[in-house]
Formats: sequence, structure tokens, C-alpha cells
Amino acid sequence: MSSPDPPSPAVETVRIWDPLLRLFHWALAATVVLAWGLGKFGPDIMTLHFYAGYAVIGLLAFRLLWALVGPRPARFSSFVYRPREILAYAAEAWRPRPSYWRGHNPLGGLFIVVLIAVLALQALTGLVADPDDFVNVGPLAASVPSWVSGSAPGWHELLGNLTLGLVALHLGAIAFYKLWKHEDLIRPMLTGRKTVRRG
Amino acid sequence: MRRVLLAPLMAALPAAAMAADAEHVVEARKGYFSLVALEFGPLAAMAKGEMPYDAAAAKAHASDLVTLTKYDPSDLYAPGTSADDVKGTAAKAAIWQDAEGFQAKGMAFFEAVAALEPAAGAGQKELAAAVGKVGGTCKSCHDDFRVKR
Repeated sequence: MSSPDPPSPAVETVRIWDPLLRLFHWALAATVVLAWGLGKFGPDIMTLHFYAGYAVIGLLAFRLLWALVGPRPARFSSFVYRPREILAYAAEAWRPRPSYWRGHNPLGGLFIVVLIAVLALQALTGLVADPDDFVNVGPLAASVPSWVSGSAPGWHELLGNLTLGLVALHLGAIAFYKLWKHEDLIRPMLTGRKTVRRG
Repeated sequence: MRRVLLAPLMAALPAAAMAADAEHVVEARKGYFSLVALEFGPLAAMAKGEMPYDAAAAKAHASDLVTLTKYDPSDLYAPGTSADDVKGTAAKAAIWQDAEGFQAKGMAFFEAVAALEPAAGAGQKELAAAVGKVGGTCKSCHDDFRVKR
């Protein structure tokens, strides 16, 4: 085979994302969008928003468990990178060619950590929020000091906007990979199979 | 000499008096909502099952709430008493900028309270539904007109 320019890396198409992880991903996307939409535009009696929030909490618990005992690409060890690795990846991420990364690349891994942290804080502030309306009071609001439950709704709203920003960043990154780097990240999240560097 | 000294003092007086008035208005306004919360709190607790349902007590609390809605609250919203003007209040300036919208939210609350009165004594389920509606009007107004802490 004549050597192309630039040399194409040795790649293979393998299953990277297991079925439960994929189900988790789409369920999280659906419940977060639902919770956000219901919180922003939903009924004033926020029962459905609460249920969507509980679903997000359950999914986050699954993801943390999966990061400990799940298949290799789902584990903490596969998406928590050193700052140096993240910077090194970021320095070359702009190049218009596929990453062929096996699982979460260092930037993507950083995003996962940030997203999980923000969603966990979002859930926590929701659970302890007391918005002074007697009907939309978080189930743990009575277990925290009133200055916490009183300020929680404000933080909850701020974190909701931050979550919206993170979702936009996520979609922007996928578009960037598709259009600029010619790497489809959506299909692997549907089928589980991704073309990656051999190794 | 005395007149010369007094003149700036006199000029400063109305402003000082108004600030004191604004603080009093804020205090009274918070007192009003403390009364609302005092009466509505047990109803919400009964609605959620955190407190045993007591038809007589529920009726009494609902009737007190109705009494509170008979009070014309416009004095509680004197101009110059928003969170932008005075410390210790969460009243958004939007209350005065969008007086019509604010009044509509207030009316929704009054109407929900009116519906609460007959429901309160009718049973826990009826109470819970009516309490939910009142709480919804609290939220709806807080969303637009209350500063988030």
C-alpha cells in the first residue's frame, strides 16, 4: 500500500460503548432536557419536574457505579486524564482529521467530569430548595439550615443555565468533530461501534 | 447663626423620613407575608400528609387566609420600597414597573385562596388540590417579582 499523505493511522472498528452506557446517555439527555424544560416553562405545581430530577439522580448514581465496575471505556480510569494530557490533546484537537480515540478523549473526559459535577450540584440544590411557595419544596429542604434552603433556588436556577450552556457546548463539539474533523461521534453512541486507533 | 446651621438639616429631613418610611413599609410587608405563611404553612403540611388532616383547623386557617385577602395591600407596595431602594427586601423593581402584571399575579392568589376556603373542610384530598393551586400562584409571582437570594 502506497503511503498516503498524511499517513493514515492503523484503525479498527470496535464496540466502544456498551448497551447500558448508551441507554444511560440517551436517558440522561432526555431527562435533563425534560427537567430543564419543565423547570423553565412547566406548570407552577412542579411535580413532573421533581420526577425528572429524581430520574437524573438515579442515572447519575448508575453512571458513577458504572465508572467503577463497568466496561473499560466507561471507567474513571478511561475518562479522568492528567491536566498535561488534556492540554496536549487540546493543542492538536483543531486539526481537521479524526481523532480515532478509543473512548473518551482527554477533553471529552474533562467535559464528563464537569457535567457530572454540575448535574450533581443541580440535583443537590434542587433537593434542598425552599422557594417559599409551600408546594415546590425540595424533599430535603427541612434537613438543612434555612439560609441554605433559602438560597438554593437561586443556585438551582443559575446551575440550570450553566447546564444549558454545557449541552450547547456538547452539541457544538459534536458538530465540530463531524464537520471539521470528519469524525462521527453520534453513530457510535447509537450502535456502540467506533473506528479507533488500533491498540 | 442657628438658622444657618438648621437649613441643611431641614433639607435633609424629608429624605431621612422617607427612608425610615420605606423601612417601615418593608417591615409591614414582610409581616403581611409572615401572616400568610403562618396560616398557609399548616394547610400545606396537611396537604402533604406531614401533619394529620383536621377539618376544623383547616377551615380556620383557610378562613384566616381569606381575611388576609380582604386587606388592601396597596400600602405595602408604596413606591421607593423595592430591593433597589431598601435593604432587607426581595421585592423586585418590576413590581412597580409592571404594576398590571403584578396585580394579575396577586388576583390569581386571591382567587386560589377563595377556592381554598370551601375545599379546606371538605377532606384531605380536596384540601391538597386547593393548596397546590395556591402554592402555584406563590411560585408564579415569585418567579417574576421576587429577587432570588
